[in-house]
Amino acid sequence: MGIKIVNIECFLPEKLFSNEDAFSLFPNFEPDKIEGKVGIRKRHIVSENETALDLAIKASEKVLERYDKNNIDFLILCTQSPDYYLPTSACILQEKLELSTSTGAFDFNLGCSGFIYGLAICKGLISAGIANNILLVMSETYTRHIHPKDFANRSIFGDGAAATIVEKSNDEHIFEFILGTDGKGMNNLIIPNGGMRNRFNPNAELKSDESGNSRTDNDIYMNGPEIFNFTIKAIPSLINQTLEKNNLKFEEIDYFIFHQANKYMLDYLRKKIKIPAEKFYCNMLETGNTVSATIPIALKDCIESGIVKSGDKVLLCGFGVGYSYGATIIKI
Amino acid sequence: MTKANFFKEMHEMLEITSVDTITEETVLKELEEYNSLFLLTIIAFIDDNFNLQLSAEQLASVTTIKSLMELIGLKKFED
Repeated sequence: MGIKIVNIECFLPEKLFSNEDAFSLFPNFEPDKIEGKVGIRKRHIVSENETALDLAIKASEKVLERYDKNNIDFLILCTQSPDYYLPTSACILQEKLELSTSTGAFDFNLGCSGFIYGLAICKGLISAGIANNILLVMSETYTRHIHPKDFANRSIFGDGAAATIVEKSNDEHIFEFILGTDGKGMNNLIIPNGGMRNRFNPNAELKSDESGNSRTDNDIYMNGPEIFNFTIKAIPSLINQTLEKNNLKFEEIDYFIFHQANKYMLDYLRKKIKIPAEKFYCNMLETGNTVSATIPIALKDCIESGIVKSGDKVLLCGFGVGYSYGATIIKI
Repeated sequence: MTKANFFKEMHEMLEITSVDTITEETVLKELEEYNSLFLLTIIAFIDDNFNLQLSAEQLASVTTIKSLMELIGLKKFED
């Protein structure tokens, strides 16, 4: 017995934010450099009244067009942008999708490692006989957390959702996992205010960096260089451990899909781990970094465009806010 | 690595156009190109060439290129 991914659908909000849009607002913004080095030309962003739950509904409806929703017995939503502190967005999503009330549902709060953890949870629930057919949704709207004058973060993040059906299968398609956490990195990607520790502060001080980007403690803060250091240290050994745990050699992996953080970071990691360019996905040109949704968006693209074929072994790796990281190998 | 090579490779890697050459006296934060992507490039360059990871805090303390070389270790540079 095993588990497999049956289908993935994505939804990106209609509104766009291009490098030219950024340049028109912030003359220090360099559209060519951002496209060339960061690998992003435009991002889909939510409008003021659109939430991660709205994106989750749209992506889920798409995936349920080809799957009998009466068969779904578990719903898991990964987001760091819930509609409310309570109730849990997954409960609202159950009702909006008109899923059976016998469906188990919960949210979990992770960022860029979310899809890997989601698959691990699915594997646990299905292996234990608790669920058979799971709707696993990644939905994120970091742009709602970014200060309008923080063009460093506005250049990177886009919004989006991906809904994946994971079900029980005769043979195993989702292999062993390596998961990891290093909470020492908590302050390097954080929204300091708005939770219980520091409440939202309407008079929060506006802070500016050397490049002229501004934010307050009510907004997202990312220490890019430290996040980069974390990935350089953690990811090469994460890949080796994942191969080892699965008794697979590097050469036996047909394709690698990492969290699409930004092109510069991915290029550097790829070279450091010595993954050939033709076996490595790097495409966030028209979506930006959609946090937990990047891996399923990439996987869907790879399957649809024939980059990966039935039987291929694909290594998936997510890393980011927390710090939290994880990897697994799937068979298409 | 020779000092001359270090200056040349830094100049190329960082795609610096605001000054013609880099010297020991160049002040990093005064370069027009200085931003977070610029810092990422320095981290990658030093990790790649010296197998050393500089923290964001260390990088923030860098003034001149010489102070960056001191962080890396002056012994690693030949004249």
